[in-house]
Amino acid sequence: MSHSPAVVRTGNSGSERPPQHRSALLKRFLPLGFFLPAFLFVAAVSFLPLLYALTQSFRAADHMGMGAFIGIDNYIRFFGESKGIAALWQSFIFVAGTVALAVPLGFALACALNRPLRFRGFFRTVLLLPWLVSNLVVALLWAWLLNGNFSPLAQMVEFIGLSLPNATTSAALAMPALIMANVWHSYPLVMIFVLAALQTVPAELYEAARIDGAGAWQRFRMITLPLVMNTTIVVLVLTTLHTFNNVTMVFIMTGGGPVGATETLALRVFLEEFKYFHTGIAAAAAVVIFSLNMVFSLAYIRVLRSEKTNVN
Amino acid sequence: MSTKSTTAGGKAFPKSGKKGNRMTETVTYVALIAAAVFALLPLMWGLSTSLKPAVEASTWPPTWMPRHLTFDHYATVLNNPKYIRYLLNTVGVTLAVMLIGVTLSAHAAWAVVRHRFIGKKTMLFLMWTTIMIPGISIIVPLYLMAVDVGLYDTYAVLVIVYCASIVPTLVWLLRGFVASVPAELEEAALIDGCGRIAVFYRIVLPLLRPGLGAAAVLVFVTVWNEFLIGYALVLGDEHRLIQVGVYYFVTETGIEWGPLMAGMFISVLPVVVLFASLQKFFIQGLTGGAVKG
Repeated sequence: MSHSPAVVRTGNSGSERPPQHRSALLKRFLPLGFFLPAFLFVAAVSFLPLLYALTQSFRAADHMGMGAFIGIDNYIRFFGESKGIAALWQSFIFVAGTVALAVPLGFALACALNRPLRFRGFFRTVLLLPWLVSNLVVALLWAWLLNGNFSPLAQMVEFIGLSLPNATTSAALAMPALIMANVWHSYPLVMIFVLAALQTVPAELYEAARIDGAGAWQRFRMITLPLVMNTTIVVLVLTTLHTFNNVTMVFIMTGGGPVGATETLALRVFLEEFKYFHTGIAAAAAVVIFSLNMVFSLAYIRVLRSEKTNVN
Repeated sequence: MSTKSTTAGGKAFPKSGKKGNRMTETVTYVALIAAAVFALLPLMWGLSTSLKPAVEASTWPPTWMPRHLTFDHYATVLNNPKYIRYLLNTVGVTLAVMLIGVTLSAHAAWAVVRHRFIGKKTMLFLMWTTIMIPGISIIVPLYLMAVDVGLYDTYAVLVIVYCASIVPTLVWLLRGFVASVPAELEEAALIDGCGRIAVFYRIVLPLLRPGLGAAAVLVFVTVWNEFLIGYALVLGDEHRLIQVGVYYFVTETGIEWGPLMAGMFISVLPVVVLFASLQKFFIQGLTGGAVKG
């Protein structure tokens, strides 16, 4: 990777190769030299641990070392003893709840913001704020807002004659609370992606449709929807992945409790290693979560491919 | 899901109707205001808590406007040397990731956009794939590997892991910016006797400044807000980052909501300030330049 500019210009240093030849060599390998450092770096920190985890998942691994080969024992133990199926179910509810609320909300807000409005910039900034704060902050803010004792929400609930239990420690409310906090954190990404897509729709299309007598609903159905569909699917997949892999928010807001009511798969992986120190089982769980991610991602890549061929 | 979203979106293009216009406009404003309240509610309640004495934070009925406005909690947090340490650690690690990550990515993006090379398709595909590798599936081996090679609980391991996790996204982001640099400029420079490498540093890189800015902002927000890696790869106060630091306020002393909220808002502030000043940049970078003003 040590290309010096001097080599290109002179090329007359008495070597066997004629200058054009050298230049051609440089032309050929220079781009590789520019790309490889980034690639090797990424590969070392992403693929290596993945292989490591894969190996560990078939061994009686602990903090000391790899341990003996034990076949698929870790996987069996993860799904058996470690309530892997229950964790998968909690993940499913968490993802489904978030996507079902955050995507329509973000979509609707994008449509609203795409109109000529007063204070549009103000609304856009305010509506994006939840996205800027970290998972940790989201978890703490909502835990504090949903506590049953001192929060204004509890006051509102009391006003209609009910009492609000502490949401993060209530078996019935912990998951809805988690979903609510995550929707709050997730809808801005949907909003901004869909808004971006809406702004690329040429105004002439609407003009033409209007002249042809298409109503608002028809214009939306025939022009807007097809043109923003791909973006919406992409951002839906992104939201799914973010939610599915979210450890921080769950860990801090409920810690998986009460009694495992919010123990998602991602959290389970984290707890297996950093709480129970079951390295082997944690590795197996990590492989499971990685495989599921790949399944989601294939859908994502499909959409991206079709977007390339259809739209552009 | 689709029916909900479509009806909401159907109101989006009102220019033609005359009577429906007013109505739609009102509905839009009401919806936006409701959404803004939803967006602000947790933030305002937290802010309110951070500005009132501990006694008032645990009274019933709760007060929105602090009756006794106080900045004591902020003073407590800022006088805590640990907290300052976390902040400085985070700034340092963030800057290092910006420098290394953006440098690597800019070079790679140029190679990808402007050149063909051996194994390009495969390597690019593999690199995109890593965007899909969730942190949680490699955090356990990363932790064990870091211990093995003696990098556990160092700044270096944080910088390395953050860089590697963000470089693919940065290459993706910078690709668009590189493509917008006219290829003719590069060709002209080559004809004028500029070296192949010099073309990148003298012609492309200076024109890439907006892209580099967007990339730097993305690095900042990502690293600043990251929790999991900072939690798993660091042992003590010395190298701890701000997010994990705030978390330890919760676990070490039991929850004191006032100082906790104050510390939290201080940690949020840089991101919000940066975002507010660079909003256009940021959104353009995120959406490939598709969102206008």
